[in-house]
Amino acid sequence: MFDEIFAEIPILILLLVIPLVGAVATLFMGGERQKYAKYVAGAFSGVTLVLAILLMFVDNTALLSENYLWIDAANIRISFILEMDGLSLLMVLLTALLVFLVVVFSASESDRPNYFHTLIMAMELGLMGVYLSADYFLFYIMWEVTLIPMYFMISWYGGPRRHYAAIKFFIYTHIASLVMLIGIFAVVFEAAAVNPGVIADFSFAAVNAASGSFGEVFQVLVFGLLFFGFAVKMPAVPFHTWLPDAHVEAPTGGSVLLAGVMLKMGSYGIIRVALNALPDGAIWWAEIILVVALISIVYGAYACIAQTDLKKMVAYSSINHMGMVMLGIAASLLYVKYAASPDASIAQIGIMFAVFQMFAHGLVTAVLFMVCGYTGHALGTREIPLLGGLAGKLPAYATFMMVGFMASLGLPGLVGFWGEFGVIFSFYVAAEAMGMIWLIVFCLLSIMLNAGFYIWAMQRTLFGRETTKIDLSHVHDVSKAEGFALAVLCVIIALFGIWPDFALGYIETFVANFAIPGV
Amino acid sequence: MVDIDISWIADTFGSITPVLPMVLVIIGALLMPGIHLLLKRKNVTCAVSLAFVVVAAVFNVLLLLGHYTGTYYGLFTYDAFSGLMILLFQAVAFIAILIAGPSSETTRLHVGAFYSLMLIATAGMSFVATASDLLLIFVGVEMVSIPSYAMVAMKKKDPRASEAAVKYIIIGGLSSGLTIYGISMLFGLTGTTNIADIAAALATQGYTAGLVIALATMIAGYGFKIAAAPFHMWAPDVYEGAATPVSLFLATGSKKMGLVVYVKVFFVMFVTIQAAQPFMTESIQYVFAILAAITMTVGNILAIVQGNVKRMLAYSSIAQAGYMLMALAILSDWALTGAIYYMFAHVFMKGGAFVVVAALITAGVGETLKDYRGLAKRAPLLSAIMLLCVFSLAGIPPLAGFTAKFFLFSSAIIPGLGEPVSSQWIWLAFVAILNSAISLYYYAKIVKAMYIEKGESEEKVKVPVAFTVAAVLCVLGVIALGVYPEPFLYYCSQAALAIMP
Repeated sequence: MFDEIFAEIPILILLLVIPLVGAVATLFMGGERQKYAKYVAGAFSGVTLVLAILLMFVDNTALLSENYLWIDAANIRISFILEMDGLSLLMVLLTALLVFLVVVFSASESDRPNYFHTLIMAMELGLMGVYLSADYFLFYIMWEVTLIPMYFMISWYGGPRRHYAAIKFFIYTHIASLVMLIGIFAVVFEAAAVNPGVIADFSFAAVNAASGSFGEVFQVLVFGLLFFGFAVKMPAVPFHTWLPDAHVEAPTGGSVLLAGVMLKMGSYGIIRVALNALPDGAIWWAEIILVVALISIVYGAYACIAQTDLKKMVAYSSINHMGMVMLGIAASLLYVKYAASPDASIAQIGIMFAVFQMFAHGLVTAVLFMVCGYTGHALGTREIPLLGGLAGKLPAYATFMMVGFMASLGLPGLVGFWGEFGVIFSFYVAAEAMGMIWLIVFCLLSIMLNAGFYIWAMQRTLFGRETTKIDLSHVHDVSKAEGFALAVLCVIIALFGIWPDFALGYIETFVANFAIPGV
Repeated sequence: MVDIDISWIADTFGSITPVLPMVLVIIGALLMPGIHLLLKRKNVTCAVSLAFVVVAAVFNVLLLLGHYTGTYYGLFTYDAFSGLMILLFQAVAFIAILIAGPSSETTRLHVGAFYSLMLIATAGMSFVATASDLLLIFVGVEMVSIPSYAMVAMKKKDPRASEAAVKYIIIGGLSSGLTIYGISMLFGLTGTTNIADIAAALATQGYTAGLVIALATMIAGYGFKIAAAPFHMWAPDVYEGAATPVSLFLATGSKKMGLVVYVKVFFVMFVTIQAAQPFMTESIQYVFAILAAITMTVGNILAIVQGNVKRMLAYSSIAQAGYMLMALAILSDWALTGAIYYMFAHVFMKGGAFVVVAALITAGVGETLKDYRGLAKRAPLLSAIMLLCVFSLAGIPPLAGFTAKFFLFSSAIIPGLGEPVSSQWIWLAFVAILNSAISLYYYAKIVKAMYIEKGESEEKVKVPVAFTVAAVLCVLGVIALGVYPEPFLYYCSQAALAIMP
């Protein structure tokens, strides 16, 4: 029934326009009115969320698309194309959900709340743009649009070392974007060059159509540029050093959006852009992607054990979980590369669960960062050695933390399990095709380390004797707004844990149309 | 695009139509001292000179929209390129004059003369844009340089201004000497000073020692005007020492005039003889490519260590000139389109930044990074404008600087309309993109000072309304050129095509 309605209204544009209007509206709510900014931001992000949920009920085999010509010069054509398929839908849904919950969770923000909400809404605009655009120019612009609000978010609302963290984040990721831009230039102009007489068209479709004629060396080189740009964003070891700093200093809302949706831009870029435009390059790079993924997984998990700051531990766990996403992608590529007669339906599994893992990690990490944020501002410290026995005093907090930790370590029945399970399964198939099944040891190591540091951290913070190192007499459990945001997320985590097919259905329609390189 | 009937202009003004925008400004320049003498009101003089620029600009825009081409006795040619460049110079003059009125730095004594000089310099730039003869171009450049020396020196009470003016005159004299030497050599070799005829003569001659000297001295001579490294040393001192409206005028206007000369002389010359003299053309292309790479790198690296915002902007102007010089290395219509687009983007973003600097100096805030601390609370609108302008200069989308860099850098990969990808200049695109990354660092320092660091004073900054108007106009230009480039790109490509043989 929604199909007819959506045929009439440009809903994808609305997903960009509503956050933009929200950002502008809150920007001008200075002075006395600034305490109402959260309601305005809540309304705008709520409407966006409703639209995103409605989109789930569109006949999901159809691809929504809106296309406007933007720049039509003599030899360059740039369009304003928005497209939505299963992958975009999940990411848009995740963005809309987390932005709305961040606004709810940050209701008590009292330092210039109007600008805080402006930044949140501007970030939503950029993120929606990245996940919807189907034109390289628009994609790059939106990619950069997400950067500036996050920079100000960290440097205005962050912790004591916020200036250092903000500038490090900004310059690190901006340089990565510029390398990606060179890669984008290369694919677009090569696409124009292989078809003489064709003008340089920046749309994904035009590049993908020409990708079959790209030379091998070109693909390998340019895939390296794009992969670097995306891997820094994910982040993959050894380009991860900006992440712990940015997370530790960022305010809770910033951390949730940074880990929950911004890191996904990296893996989204690899799947949407790099694999499609440069299939041969992707196959050539498969082993390197695998090595990077395995190092990220093991190093990320290993570094978690050493952390005493709860938030820093969660930040490192993001590196581990995003490594899982990369592992899924590598598994698909390696299966195609080494299997005697690759079967498309098996090759899809890696990508499919990589996408599911992106979605799952977004939900779970949001809970974790909200819990860490609460810990920081309610208890005054996030140092694990100073905490202890909080479960008795703060039962709701302890429940949410446990759900988050359990989901993150991959407990069956919660959403985190399916992502890891699927990725490791697909990797097993790929390792078997390679004849190197022993590689699976790294995954087992990661699972063990994950379970280890989460349970250990939980034991030290929630259970045992109540801490005497900090004053708990004035500490109250999570507020109603915080509890609401956390409860919604926990319910969704359990829902998708029991019924993963609800999300996998969308991913299946996406991978069914997705050309896995080499198949 | 738009088509309007402009035959009434040609009917009314007859043979002077091609030089009409220039003549109107010259009339204004001649009247200005008299008007000031009679009315003795600083703001009225400012307003009248603005009115002359606006009227000239209106006629110029009408001629541009009507796709007018014409020549004034073979000396001056008005076409899509010169029209667009005149529009650029008029925009610069408009912003500079608008803020010169309320600025505390401009002279209180010789108000009539100041505006007169500024209008003469504007006319001189238009002169360069329309001239098609080496000697006329030389005269036009002097017509800009000499008033500029005087305008820099007019900030009398500041010893830095006197130092800057002396430096500027000496360097300016050296550059004029080099240029006229090169022109005379070229005249000796080819027997003409008309650029098209020189190109035709060079097509049949090979490299000679005389030609090398002629080209080298001319590139160096006009290189001083552009402040291309290694001819850039004067620029930071002069921009820092001069009154900020004058710095704005020099950094956004005078520099563009140098680039216009490069385009009119070297671009035209070598595009014409490209087929006949491939070796000569290619070697000159590499000269410009290296010049561009050095200029952008030197400008960006030296800007990092500056603590004075005006000086930082001066070094950033040097770097920006480096980007625009890429067009001469690539030598194609698309590159020229990108460079013209960049020139306009640069006027708005650098102009906006200088307007904010001038406003803050007038308001008594100061001009160092230290003074800018905590400015976001004291002057929210000006800080926001500065933020947008410097982010645009750093090439962050969706602002004008990004779009312009996008067009210009893409021409290093796909040089011409409908041509295949060429690997020849990809290294130049890499250098340029790397430079954009470096530049973000010092631009971010300005933003950091304004928005993140805490200042000593909390007092609101009050600035005259003219500054706000000028800054808002600039920022609207930055956003418009960034978000909706299509219509303007059309006029830029028309201008580039007018230059191509």
